Amino acid sequence: MDTDETSSLSQQVQALLVDALGVPAEQVTPSLAFGDLPQWDSMGHMEVMILLEARFGVEINAETITALTSGPAIYAYLQENGHA
Amino acid sequence: MPELEHVFAPTLPIPDFLVGEVQSKLAYVDENIRQAQVTPAGDRITLYLYRPADQPAITELEEKTQRVVLSMVKGAFKPKVQVLEDHLDRLVPYSSDPHSELLARGEISPEAQGIYTLGPLLSRLILYFESLFLELADTFGAEPYRFPTLIPARYLERVNYFQAFPHSLSFVTHLRADLDAIDHFSQHAACEPDGSLNTPPDSFAPLQTLLSPAVCYHLYFSLADRPLPTGKVTATAVGNCFRYEAINLTSLERMWNFTMREVIFVGPKDFVLDNREAARLHMSRVFAEIGLAYRVESANDPFFIGEFRKQAAFQSAFQLKFEIRARLPFKESSLAVGSYNYHQDFFGRRLNITVPDGTPAHTGCVAFGLERMAYAFLSQYGFDPQGWPAAIREACL
Repeated sequence: MDTDETSSLSQQVQALLVDALGVPAEQVTPSLAFGDLPQWDSMGHMEVMILLEARFGVEINAETITALTSGPAIYAYLQENGHA
Repeated sequence: MPELEHVFAPTLPIPDFLVGEVQSKLAYVDENIRQAQVTPAGDRITLYLYRPADQPAITELEEKTQRVVLSMVKGAFKPKVQVLEDHLDRLVPYSSDPHSELLARGEISPEAQGIYTLGPLLSRLILYFESLFLELADTFGAEPYRFPTLIPARYLERVNYFQAFPHSLSFVTHLRADLDAIDHFSQHAACEPDGSLNTPPDSFAPLQTLLSPAVCYHLYFSLADRPLPTGKVTATAVGNCFRYEAINLTSLERMWNFTMREVIFVGPKDFVLDNREAARLHMSRVFAEIGLAYRVESANDPFFIGEFRKQAAFQSAFQLKFEIRARLPFKESSLAVGSYNYHQDFFGRRLNITVPDGTPAHTGCVAFGLERMAYAFLSQYGFDPQGWPAAIREACL
């Protein structure tokens, strides 16, 4: 895997979480997960999903909503689906 | 030419799983809508109006309706319906609509749209079902609570209720503590032909209070901003609930003012989920004994259009709500008479309720609509007690 691509994707995931949750970048740690911040509650989670759909074309369905509940899970999903 | 009925196609076809949800929300589009219908195929909307509307008014109505459709349909995903129990085909002896018979017997007296006084038969049935729900509460050692009918606006603000359910709120006010305003009211207050008071709006105090839309919220607010003393709470209460549903307020199926019995769990995640499941299993046996035709399936709350797509999707994906849907044989349909709910740690976080390890408490409740239970029972068993299950006949006669 290309290091730059890895870095780029992780930066995109961090930027997505910053924008969806409305928090400063320093609060979005690499292992951040649903429930770790007050902003990443049920409503925050759906903002994350909607932004994932808009930026990466991720289909919102029961599987993705329940699976993509952390930064690492989002990163892995995007990588597996050709975004890295 | 002014129209009393307007038919048009939605901007986006409405998928079958959203037809009912969209149709129910069209009630809030405009006060001139008497009835709104969406075809089962989701390709046509008909608005029936109280007063004839000219072309500009029709254009505005259609534009507002399309806003609802777009907001709810665009990007919607089909929820995966999980059925936990299916006893809809249980044999029941009655198939007529009980509404007219209830009216004829004086068992329901409509006071206004969605507001009913109930007579002795319905009241006895409700008392009987209440006894079943209290037995359920006893199996958990639930502590009894009594909650107010009013709820402060700041409480509902704290749990995001205004964003999720603005359409169903019921507001409470009073005359300002001002002698002139009170004197003026006492001398001039009268009802207009439509039933509204003729009082100037500035006679009333600012809106700080609402009628409570749910029972369990009061428990969560009473536990807010401190650790749970014993790490978990099991409570039960019955209370008046208020959800305004505009033109959808028809018969006992949809009332503005109704009562719910709830059993409420607050504590660690497993405690809440295990008890929710135990309650379902208990009630499954109870419903078998009284011969109720019903099913239990995953569902979502009636969020308003802006929040609907997000919140309904989240609720459905995590299987947070299961409804007990009783069969209504007269319309080959079903009615939610109760629900098994899990809120994750939403209230724990929002209200700062913590368990002993410092993490937010999880919450859940099982809730039963008492009027709907009685209505569903009469829809399935009718008015001849000889056809009723023995336990109900003995308890109610």
